[in-house]
Amino acid sequence: MRDKQCTAEEVAAELRDGMTLGIGGWGSRRKPMALVRAILRSPVKNLRVVSYGGPDVGLLCAAGKVRELVFGFVTLDSIPYDPLFRKAREQEGLAVREWDEGMFYAGLQAAAQRLPFLPIRAGLGSDVPRNDPALRTVRSPYGDGEELLAVPALELDVALVHLNRADKHGNARYLGPDPYFDDLFCLAAKKRFVSCERLVSTAELAEGAPQTLLCNRTMVDGVVEIPRGAHFTSCAPDYGRDEKFQRAYADAPQNGLLSRLVSGSEQDYQAVVQEVS
Amino acid sequence: MSYTTDEMMTVAAARALRDGSACFVGIGQPSAAANLARRTHAPDLVLVYESGTLGAKPDRLPLSIGDGILAETADAVVSVPEIFNYWLQPGRIDVGFLGGAQIDRFGNINTTVIGGYAEPKVRLPGAGGAPEIATSCREVFVVMRHNPRAFVAAVDFVTSLGYGRDGEQRDALRPLGKGPTRVMTDLGVLEPDPDTHELTLTALNPGVEVEQVRAATGWELRLAEEITVQDPPTETELSTLRALKEAS
Repeated sequence: MRDKQCTAEEVAAELRDGMTLGIGGWGSRRKPMALVRAILRSPVKNLRVVSYGGPDVGLLCAAGKVRELVFGFVTLDSIPYDPLFRKAREQEGLAVREWDEGMFYAGLQAAAQRLPFLPIRAGLGSDVPRNDPALRTVRSPYGDGEELLAVPALELDVALVHLNRADKHGNARYLGPDPYFDDLFCLAAKKRFVSCERLVSTAELAEGAPQTLLCNRTMVDGVVEIPRGAHFTSCAPDYGRDEKFQRAYADAPQNGLLSRLVSGSEQDYQAVVQEVS
Repeated sequence: MSYTTDEMMTVAAARALRDGSACFVGIGQPSAAANLARRTHAPDLVLVYESGTLGAKPDRLPLSIGDGILAETADAVVSVPEIFNYWLQPGRIDVGFLGGAQIDRFGNINTTVIGGYAEPKVRLPGAGGAPEIATSCREVFVVMRHNPRAFVAAVDFVTSLGYGRDGEQRDALRPLGKGPTRVMTDLGVLEPDPDTHELTLTALNPGVEVEQVRAATGWELRLAEEITVQDPPTETELSTLRALKEAS
């Protein structure tokens, strides 16, 4: 079987200007932050980003990498609204598709199932769909005749996710309480990359409940072993969120750290970690 | 025992929760109210948090929906996708709690933007899962502080549907839940008129005058035929609420 190991830089180099990038995790939890930093350092621009937003979105927006964002929220969990994203949002030039979380999920699911759309009730009657004029409704062809929101498939060019364990072939397992939507991100994308806390043998990976094997080699193109690759977001049970660092991140526009976090090298980042955490 | 107007609001929200019902809980006032209810009159209340915990029984207020105490004390933990698809959207939740920056006379709630969408005065965090809580839960309770900036004639943006801009839009969107049935504030309680769905004053908190509520409401507030006065918090309610808060 193929060895799909690669580096964060090789993953970032797969991105082309204007591509649609899906990022797994949820809020400030199990985000592939090391891969995101590799993108910050790469020349790619004008990305269309699809994410249950956390600091991944805040950083990519602060770096000016994002042309359009599809999102239901951008939160740091213990800090309700990502300040870097807030700043980017209040400036000109960032196009958004601002959806409800359930709509967002339906869009990912449609792409994963290779359907053009999925019907959903979430968002009906709200200004959320009214504000996104490309959205359409669909009427049930059965006796009930119910009108539903037709959420279009969120097809992705590239998906990035972070999991606790993986083997070199692209099978990967989560050990925490929640899969989030990482399997859907991979199934909705043309190219799929997994970063993991620890690379293990296939035999070791297979120990444990089979339903926690969230990704398998047929839906993964590359694997990168990056210990603490989700830092400063949580990666339970390997580590919790680095709240101290997250506060420093949230204050970055004021405390002078912004340029080091957004345009610094990986060594700069690790130096900030040493200083702050 | 003396108490704050916020404590009265939380106690009123707790009392509104029926024992045995399933309640979708957000952090802050809703979480305080639901946990108070569970520790007083509603021991069988099922607390559902968006992070996937069904039947959480924390002995202190969780700091966020990801607080470990929720999963540790839950009947079951499901994934976030499952919470949306199998619990929230099919209408398995009896009561959803919502709040926001603005609510209007027809119970529509805004958490998206103050001012125009394209040229806002303030950009707010946005939808999250609020629109589907508003449409999918069997009924919605709202907890918000009462002032004219928050209680407006028409919200700038309908993030979460109440009864629609005209009070009738929700009826055209069956089958959805009932919508906002109680709005509990630091001054009293508003409920939708059964015919027009306009939020109407039905109860006052102790010591509050009707004129105060009128002055804090951005539309000409109608009064129900009979306006009750809510009982002040009991000593048990207050000490339980304060213990929950202190423990966190």
